[in-house]
Amino acid sequence: MRAARREAGPAVALGLLAAMAGIGQAICAALALQAALSGAAPRAALWPLVVFAGLALLRAGLGVLMERVAFDTGAAARRRLRSAALGRILAAGPAMLRRHHSAELASVVVDRVEALEGLFARWIPAAILAVLGPALVLLVVLWVDPVAAAVLAGAGLLVPAAMALSGLGAAAAAHRQLAAMTRLQARFVDRVRGIATIVLDGHAEAEARALGRSADELRRRTMRVLAMAFLSSAALDGALAVAIVVLALRYVAALAGGTLEMPGHALMVLLLVPEFFAPLRGFAAAYQDRSHAGPAAEALAALPEPPLAPPALPVRNVAARGVAIAFEDVRFTWDAARGPALDGLSFRVPAGETLILSGPSGAGKSTVLEILLGFVRPDSGRVTLNGADIATLVPSAQARLVGWIGQRPVLFAGTIRDNIRFARPEASDAEVEDAAHFARLDSVAAILPQGLDTPVGEGGYGLSGGQAQRVAIARAFLKNAPLLLLDEPTAHLDPATEAEVLDGLKRLAIGRTVVLASHAAAAHVFAGRRLDLRDGRAAPARGVA
Amino acid sequence: MTALWRIVVLWRPQAGWLLAGVAVSLAALAAALLLMAQSGQMVAAAALGAGLAAPLVLRGLGLARIVLRYGERMATHDALFRALAALRVWFFRGLAVRAAGGLGFRRAGDVLSRLVGDIEALDILYIRIVVPLAGALVLLPVLVWWIARSNVWLALVVGVLFALAAFALPLLAARASWRQGGRIAGAFAALRIACLDTLTGLREVRAFGAEGRMLAIVQGREAGLLAAQHEVAGRAALAGAAAFLAGQAALLAVLVALLFQGDAALAGIAFLVVAAFEAAAVLPRVAAAAGHAAQAAGRVLELADAPMPATHTTSVMPSGSAIRFDSVHFAWSPDRPAVFDGLTLDIPQGSRVALLGPSGSGKSTLAALLLKVAHPGAGRILLGGSDIAALDDSAVRARCAWLGQATHLFRDTIRANLLLGAPPGTAVTDDRLWAALAAARIDEVVRALPDGLDGWVGEGGQGFSGGQGRRLALARALLSDAPVLILDEPCAGLDATTEREFHLALNEAAAGRTVVLIAHRLVGVERLDRIWRLSGGRAVAAAG
Repeated sequence: MRAARREAGPAVALGLLAAMAGIGQAICAALALQAALSGAAPRAALWPLVVFAGLALLRAGLGVLMERVAFDTGAAARRRLRSAALGRILAAGPAMLRRHHSAELASVVVDRVEALEGLFARWIPAAILAVLGPALVLLVVLWVDPVAAAVLAGAGLLVPAAMALSGLGAAAAAHRQLAAMTRLQARFVDRVRGIATIVLDGHAEAEARALGRSADELRRRTMRVLAMAFLSSAALDGALAVAIVVLALRYVAALAGGTLEMPGHALMVLLLVPEFFAPLRGFAAAYQDRSHAGPAAEALAALPEPPLAPPALPVRNVAARGVAIAFEDVRFTWDAARGPALDGLSFRVPAGETLILSGPSGAGKSTVLEILLGFVRPDSGRVTLNGADIATLVPSAQARLVGWIGQRPVLFAGTIRDNIRFARPEASDAEVEDAAHFARLDSVAAILPQGLDTPVGEGGYGLSGGQAQRVAIARAFLKNAPLLLLDEPTAHLDPATEAEVLDGLKRLAIGRTVVLASHAAAAHVFAGRRLDLRDGRAAPARGVA
Repeated sequence: MTALWRIVVLWRPQAGWLLAGVAVSLAALAAALLLMAQSGQMVAAAALGAGLAAPLVLRGLGLARIVLRYGERMATHDALFRALAALRVWFFRGLAVRAAGGLGFRRAGDVLSRLVGDIEALDILYIRIVVPLAGALVLLPVLVWWIARSNVWLALVVGVLFALAAFALPLLAARASWRQGGRIAGAFAALRIACLDTLTGLREVRAFGAEGRMLAIVQGREAGLLAAQHEVAGRAALAGAAAFLAGQAALLAVLVALLFQGDAALAGIAFLVVAAFEAAAVLPRVAAAAGHAAQAAGRVLELADAPMPATHTTSVMPSGSAIRFDSVHFAWSPDRPAVFDGLTLDIPQGSRVALLGPSGSGKSTLAALLLKVAHPGAGRILLGGSDIAALDDSAVRARCAWLGQATHLFRDTIRANLLLGAPPGTAVTDDRLWAALAAARIDEVVRALPDGLDGWVGEGGQGFSGGQGRRLALARALLSDAPVLILDEPCAGLDATTEREFHLALNEAAAGRTVVLIAHRLVGVERLDRIWRLSGGRAVAAAG
């Protein structure tokens, strides 16, 4: 926060200069008015008007400069915060997705960081200027008319008092409003993803109405925030009106009674009233920036701390010979209500060999793979790769060791070629095409309008389930890691394609350690030890296949 | 700009609220102007030794200004949010009508950005453009008339300057920002897509060690957004400065006139001019962002308002549910190879058929055609003897329950997920839900949850294994009364034992319905009347 205040320095200096120019203008205008009302020769009032015009030009220039500076400050802050937020989520890894909707996380990174823009760009300079600007005006008024200065100071003090009162309620309401906003977004992304299901079941109308209800709820919550926030603006309007009415009545009475010798002073004070309130008005406008920023800052603070980087130990024998794996009494629970996923599992896979995990769905096959992928850490027990505990591996080192083909590959926005190259961005075109050929993607690409450069959309539109899976296989081939994890890679393929892909996977498996989770009978083509999982434990061994 | 106008037209049902907001705003503006003019004139008159104006009026105006400003803010914001909510729902409906086949090439992140971001970008349309513009339109003649009572020439000068600040400058700024092409909205959508891509694919990102790359992509998109925002902010600052100078010039003109004329009314006018230009000052700045709003409006309309093929359909239910494909020809797009080329296929009412074929042979396309998600290029599809092209989409879909590869589990309770399968508006007892769950062999899992039917399903069915998710989706399909059950690879991702159990359950649960089972292979326990094999765009009878 202190750093943020220092960053606001240039904006504050420019703001003060503009305030001084404003005071100068009010003085010039009052001098001209007085000259006119006292019937002086027009020539006598010429110089105040010239100065007035010059100061107007100066103020306009200062205003433009100030906005530039404010934008740059806000942009720098957003850049810093957004990278930090995304970095934290990436460090926490896929386990985050079990607790948060991806749209919810995206909204933190995109919208909540955006909501902090005003805090840095406007709130901090405005908060400082709200004290210094009126003080400057007050000094000038004090010199002219001490009573008017007292009136102004009193009206000015009304503003922060009312703001603090309404701000307390506004902060809580802003919190609820942002929660409603995030819920609406998550709900909408989820419904849009499944819109085919909704439409085919004939529920589009009901869902549209439900969406209308949540939008309406959002409106009501937002209005509650605004009802409080607008109270502080009303307090400002009130203070301004009180100051003008009180001062006008005072001067009218004084003039009528003949106790005011300098009518020009009265006009000057009246003209200075808007200048006095202008910084406070800027402060009130920025106050909403601040109340939006509070919950947004909380959401950012709620992101998990990046885990302490374990000391990077070299993994022995990581060459093409493969990696030896050992699970020793490993336990892991996703959700206490559903019981442990792994319940004291132990097994060993020597380097270069294949392990086939079988068992009914929910037996813990995917959990074994997620531990090996480094997505989650075991609750207890030890998992080693080449004798090194995976708890001592940095995530990036673990990721380098592992190739992975899951059940439902995510295809990113871009072409098929981009999606293959995702595995190894520095790969040459020839290498990418090799991988495509290996996964039998080239025959798919041949009939597509733009071949490998065909774009794929949400969930891989334009590619069938089997074709998307082949992209994942091409990725694994391109990555060329010593440990290959296969999570039911052929579940969506027809027997002919499955046989082809299995053949390719067998070639890919040569010289690598492979862990294959599968219940498809076709997995028998893999020669290797079978491990039958039941309720997170190894069922009695049935020997080597 | 026509897009903006169309959005305004869409708001017709909210016109009452919106107009009320404008009316309150005009009243507040009048109070503010009168307060300034009155107090200035009073002081000037007193300085000249003229009589006292009524201080009571001044107090009343002060109070009215406060109350009306508060009322204006509440009224305009409430009206705005009503209009925006209506727009959201309209957008979803439009999307639902056009997007039954899934999102196609549109990314969910992009759609999200459109709904939330673009629709919100339209908020400046009402509060910051329509309302102040209405104020300025009323203000200009009043201002000119008021000043002309004292000095016609001055009225002319101030009027021209006011028109410059309130109309000409905003128009110039709007045209410049329009030319800039709504880069902000595009940059925002790009940033959101990059973030959503990274976070949805967090597993892939981690498995391929792509954290640094994805972060770099997001930072690149952010830089694009900041650059676009920087340009708009710079332009807004310039427009604001120009409007400020117009106001100052007007004030200067009043002061000069005052020097030559020495009229107390002109002193009041000086205060009036200050207040009037302050009210109009918001317009040029907002106009610099109007291009953004116009683009947002265009994008919202483009998605939810795309032309639909004109159809003449009837909601008359066909008498039976026999299905016949009659020489159907279909390709997803003209530049892609035909999926079906003269497909002819008979599925008698109440029969159970399997359609087999390798991936890419058009198995899922067949379901899409039958559900009217896609339309045949040539040939006819008959349901109960009527061409489905002549039937309402909803009538066809009410007859055909669908369990597809892409069947989505929503982030909601198990109950809400199941109820999607039941015909809309019907009451379904818990017993029926449990029966469907039992038929899909998932009841034990649900019973074991602490919240039972009110247990929560995570994103994309998380919290459940792949097999459990499929069985939940099956239970949903079984809840429907539809006489035709289309099962598109219902067992993908299930283990052999569960798959076998699933089919045994299906044999019982779907008794009396027409079952169309689409798969790449059979397990062997399915009870089937007929098996078709799809190849070369046609169906070939395999066995019976």
